[in-house]
Amino acid sequence: MGEETTKKEEEKFEPKIVGFTCNWCTYAAADLAGTSRKKYPPNSRIIRLMCSARLDPMFVLKALLNGADGVFFSGCHPGECHYIKGNFYARRRIAAIRTILKQLGLDNRFKSYWISASEGEKFANTMKGLSEEIKELGPSPLRGKVL
Amino acid sequence: MKGVELKSGDLEGLFKGLLDKKAVDCLVLPHRVGNNVAYMMVTDKDKIESPVPAIFAPSFSVNAANVVKGWLIKEKIGIVAKPCEIRAAIELIKLKQMDKESVLLISVDCSGAFKNQDYADHAEEIGDWVDSAKIEELKGKGIAIREACEICDKRLADVGDIGIVKQDGDNVVVVGITDMGVEALSAIEDISLEDKDIDRSGETEKIAAEAKKKKEALPEISSVEALEEFLRDCIVCKNCREMCPVCYCKECFFEQPLGKPVGGDLLNIAELRGAIAVPANQLMYHLTRVYHVSTTCVGCGACEDACPKDIPLTRLYPVIAEKVQEIFEYVPGKDVEEPLPFTTYEEEELEDKLR
Repeated sequence: MGEETTKKEEEKFEPKIVGFTCNWCTYAAADLAGTSRKKYPPNSRIIRLMCSARLDPMFVLKALLNGADGVFFSGCHPGECHYIKGNFYARRRIAAIRTILKQLGLDNRFKSYWISASEGEKFANTMKGLSEEIKELGPSPLRGKVL
Repeated sequence: MKGVELKSGDLEGLFKGLLDKKAVDCLVLPHRVGNNVAYMMVTDKDKIESPVPAIFAPSFSVNAANVVKGWLIKEKIGIVAKPCEIRAAIELIKLKQMDKESVLLISVDCSGAFKNQDYADHAEEIGDWVDSAKIEELKGKGIAIREACEICDKRLADVGDIGIVKQDGDNVVVVGITDMGVEALSAIEDISLEDKDIDRSGETEKIAAEAKKKKEALPEISSVEALEEFLRDCIVCKNCREMCPVCYCKECFFEQPLGKPVGGDLLNIAELRGAIAVPANQLMYHLTRVYHVSTTCVGCGACEDACPKDIPLTRLYPVIAEKVQEIFEYVPGKDVEEPLPFTTYEEEELEDKLR
């Protein structure tokens, strides 16, 4: 009986995913996925940034500490930044924060992608994959904690 | 390399010479205060006390780079300090907290240091210099050097503008590392520079091997739960930030309303989550600081010394920072011309560190 309940709860687990996307590419890709009626799980909340470089790693920390089960970032492919080199700087910061998160075993909850404005389908598939991955990981250890 | 071999007692004359010849307008020097060692800023050469043994004393009070943080005047300041402090100062130059031309950095060989209290309590037993055998012997008696010093692999005076290298016995070799250093030294009449070839690669390797062993033995913080437990006693006094030489923001995020919520803001957050820890943002503060100092942390251990709750912060900041520095192949304080990792990029890099 008890086992069944836990199983049910597991099935019910719907992750909360916070996404940071660049206005010029992935945000448009998400739009394209919508207009071309690609289905993807509705469990991510997207926050639009004007550029990848606007992603302060503190945003990632804050989302995780506030109990997000997953956080993702997506921007223009390296070399295709609307502002020429924003995502090159972003890439360094992401690598740094991921190294820190890795030390704490949280790096599998923070993903980053490069998705351009024309890749609506890739966006939808990525979201599907991410949702599955986070579901498999289960709820964040920080969820509901008194922090 | 240009340098000169001196008796350690001659260093007093050398420092006086630097002030006298206006190589620097003021000099920050360690000096004896009772049983201990503290820094003083000298402008009058007659106030210089004999700097030996204070400059080699295995004691760490404050990171001297803190003194020059925001030294935005053109008058030149000289700092005589341990290599970690000099490396922090070099990072501050890169962070534009002072001008390269207005500081003369003089590093001194370091044997590792004790906390002020430990040093003061056992000054006689510890003496003016410790080698690795002595460190082990003292450890047996319960007098241990700072953890930051145990895991430090850059204790030799090879950074800054001038290095003061301790030789066996009572001799020191003063070398000019940069052009500015050589120029400052050659201004002093009493000394004549000659070509000095000091090869310390053997020593460097030995220190690195010892440090590596200690580093591996350090308890690791390997999960977020472990970090929570590690920071259990933290009262968010932010002393670690105040004493950190490379934490330099004029106004810290955690002094602003978002970072330090009070009154209604605090109540709102509590209502949102049902229960929050207060003082708020403890974990957020430390993780943010880990990120902010991740490329520039020189591992001096000043944060740990500053912690009123005795949290061994050396196991957090320098340990994680080193992993970040590794991916950028960056050694903080090594070269003043090398750009900070976050201010530069390569077009193709790091893709394996992103997913």
